[in-house]
Amino acid sequence: MSRPNFVDNSGLSGRADRAARALPRAAARLASAAQGLAAPLVLLAGWDIGARLGWLPEQILPPPTEVLGALRETLQDGSLLSSTLTSLRRVAQGFFAGAVAGLAFGFAIGASPGTRALLTPLFLSLSHVPTLGWIPILILFVGIDESLKILVIGWAAFVPVALNAAQGVRDVPRAYLELGRVLSFSRWSRFQSIVLPSAVPSIFTGLREGLANSWQTLVAVELIASFEGLGYLMAYGRQLFQLELVLAAMIVIAVIGLTIHVLLGLIESHLQRWNPR
Amino acid sequence: MTASALSITTRAAEGSAIASNALRRWESRLRPLLVPAALLTLWEVCARSGLADPRFLPTLEAVAKRGMREFAQGGLAADIAASLERDLLGFAAGGFVGVCLGLSLGFSRPLERALSPLLLAHRQIALFAWVPLISMWFGGGEGGKVAFIALAAFQPALINTWQGIAGIPAAYRELARALAFNGWDFAVVVALPGALPRIFAGVHAALIYSWTSTIGAELLLDIAPGVGGRMNEGQHLFRIDLLFLCVIILGVVGVAFNLVAGVLERRWLSRSQA
Amino acid sequence: MKMLHLAVLAAGLAMASPASAETLIRIGYPGTGLDDRPFAYGDYIAVAHVQKLVEAEFADQPDIKVTWTFFRGAGPALNESLAAGQLDFAAGLGDLPSIVGRSRGLDTKFLASAGEHDALYLAVPPNSSIATIDDLKGHKVAQFRGTNLQIATDRVLEAHRLTEKDIRFVSLDSNAATAALVSGAVEASFGGAEYLDLAKRGVIKIIYSTKNDDPTLGRNAGLFVTGEFEKAHPDYTAKVVHAFIKAARFASDEANRSAVFEIWAKSGLPVESFAADFAAERLAHRITPVIDAFIVNRYKDQAQRAKAYGLVKKDVDIDSWFEPKYLQQALADLKLEHFWPTYDVNGKVVTSGDVEQTKAASN
Repeated sequence: MSRPNFVDNSGLSGRADRAARALPRAAARLASAAQGLAAPLVLLAGWDIGARLGWLPEQILPPPTEVLGALRETLQDGSLLSSTLTSLRRVAQGFFAGAVAGLAFGFAIGASPGTRALLTPLFLSLSHVPTLGWIPILILFVGIDESLKILVIGWAAFVPVALNAAQGVRDVPRAYLELGRVLSFSRWSRFQSIVLPSAVPSIFTGLREGLANSWQTLVAVELIASFEGLGYLMAYGRQLFQLELVLAAMIVIAVIGLTIHVLLGLIESHLQRWNPR
Repeated sequence: MTASALSITTRAAEGSAIASNALRRWESRLRPLLVPAALLTLWEVCARSGLADPRFLPTLEAVAKRGMREFAQGGLAADIAASLERDLLGFAAGGFVGVCLGLSLGFSRPLERALSPLLLAHRQIALFAWVPLISMWFGGGEGGKVAFIALAAFQPALINTWQGIAGIPAAYRELARALAFNGWDFAVVVALPGALPRIFAGVHAALIYSWTSTIGAELLLDIAPGVGGRMNEGQHLFRIDLLFLCVIILGVVGVAFNLVAGVLERRWLSRSQA
Repeated sequence: MKMLHLAVLAAGLAMASPASAETLIRIGYPGTGLDDRPFAYGDYIAVAHVQKLVEAEFADQPDIKVTWTFFRGAGPALNESLAAGQLDFAAGLGDLPSIVGRSRGLDTKFLASAGEHDALYLAVPPNSSIATIDDLKGHKVAQFRGTNLQIATDRVLEAHRLTEKDIRFVSLDSNAATAALVSGAVEASFGGAEYLDLAKRGVIKIIYSTKNDDPTLGRNAGLFVTGEFEKAHPDYTAKVVHAFIKAARFASDEANRSAVFEIWAKSGLPVESFAADFAAERLAHRITPVIDAFIVNRYKDQAQRAKAYGLVKKDVDIDSWFEPKYLQQALADLKLEHFWPTYDVNGKVVTSGDVEQTKAASN
């Protein structure tokens, strides 16, 4: 019998007994995981059975096997991959442009009360117009090419990034700024070493919201006017009454959304470890 | 200096201080208007002088004239009313279901455990990805549009209500347990008032999302009276003045919603916390 | 959770629908006029609508109301409405969307033809370098997907040894496509008679038309009723068909040529467009409700091609789709059994019709 490496009240010790204690814990974890999976599995089963038994007419909800078939087909002929890449590229370009512009603008109005007073009213009134509302005007100005998508997606990112960056800069504690002045930091190093680190949580919130906005706007723009991309794939499925294609595209969109969500969560927790506050 | 000379100088100094204060107040009130005014002047100059193609940049007068014509004869007021009707209907339906479900999830741990993965997956699907599905299930008419708007309102209402209830500090729950509150009392006395700010934030967000999705629904689903329908018309017939007019209307409604929501929030929250 | 949401919505919508003693006869048309006006053109459905012939059939039954819905989204949007149970009749639904709907289990019955040999036009900006179908390769072209424009286009492309993959198609409804073409957002557009007026004014030019090509390349449309409505109200179905056949009689008579064009002009397109669309073509060439070997074969052919082009996933049974008894009853009642000619599978006349004797007023 192995040496006990701790003392406990139950009088048990040893590997076998540790295993006996671990079992209820593992079972509990398994049980809660099962609870989490229960609802989706029940829905999935209900969907499959309903389709098979004919309760669900196929124009309302095609059976899961058909959706999988649509996924397989579009993967095989390459249209799923190229659509996904096109959509991702658009989001990346639009978000990058909008975020960079948004950060610059946000810092400007956050740091200078004068600039803030000048530009904020205009900016706020423009930001109250739903992003989609700009599309018809933009279509007349720039057509339905990539520039339309980049502009709209960029604007969708610009607004939250700018607002949150401005807030982050404004919220820098005065004490820190005073300290920087006392230590005669140059404006630039004051910005770099004091303002920026303190504003990082707000900036990150803005970037996160901006990315979510960009993704949402991408899908909408591709539905309205496009000839490639995931939104186009869905619109095509809708026109030809191929619900399974629509669902397949939605699944891909959900997966991408989930991936972005998880990645951002990881980056956020990493950043929080670095931020003293 | 003599006393009277001193008092005169003091009063003169006071006077000039008051004057410069007044000047400063006027300046700060006018400053927000500076940039928009400058831009509008620039716009008007470009449009009138022919620097900008009149097809792309109508004069402000043209937009105003268009507005007056559309309101008087074009039934623009009816279009706005139609859009608002859809918006508020969808907002009410989706917001109500969202708040109810959020409350259930907040109060019931088993329900939360069962449904949260599904809801997480649902959150990842971009809102507009639902349009083709909804139009196939409900058609592209009023039913489909309202269903879509309700879906848009549902999301923020649900999340914020749920987090609001779930975020009640453990200390409060302990206290309620210690005081032998039953579930109902806990809910009414502790949880709901505590979660109210969060719930209001969710309803506020739902209002904004509903308006955005109303425009999107009108642009993507069947033609019907509404601001989105007018924007389609403006786009297809190259009526830029109509488009600018619609954008202004969208902005005004957005601002109005924000203002109303903010005022209501402040009044109800302050009353509940008094 | 999705189900719960759906259930609540469904309950709400169900409660919202009026529980009246009124019977609604809901007719849908896959298209709108200029600026999305609720008017049709190019077929006898438009004539029935403007002359209120269907409403007249039920004039003595005040608890029956006829509603018309015009779908900007054309056939696909109409299909969605059918699937959602919001329509009873699909009047003038194009061949591709009706075949697609049937392949997805939509229960409809083909009551009569609503149009055949409808022309397809290819329009480009006036200074475009695109001159033939072959030049379209790699260019951005507007085409309303899922409508009978698509299958007609696919057949034309096939005849020129091209496929959809060679062209970047943008799906735009007819108003949006016109705007996109005029503003240069797309380089070409496939469409119908709506382009003729623009071509006349020099805003665009038409470089191809199926009028001068293989006659089976034209587009077709049909009059459909939902299986549910037909089973519940065969008498109403008969009356509706009766009204439409009356309209067809009026619209295919050459003597009414200018009157018909005037009716179609309510859609916002000028009379000259229709004159140009029907140049050197008799009205009855397109406007005929009969179900003959030609039409049956056309639909079978389109269904096979749709499957070949990947537009539908399975074989569609065409033969059991037709329900000609209402048509035949109406023809007998109106004494029009010999009014329209019937054609064989190749388009050759089998029996001639009286309509061929009609003459235009000023000729």
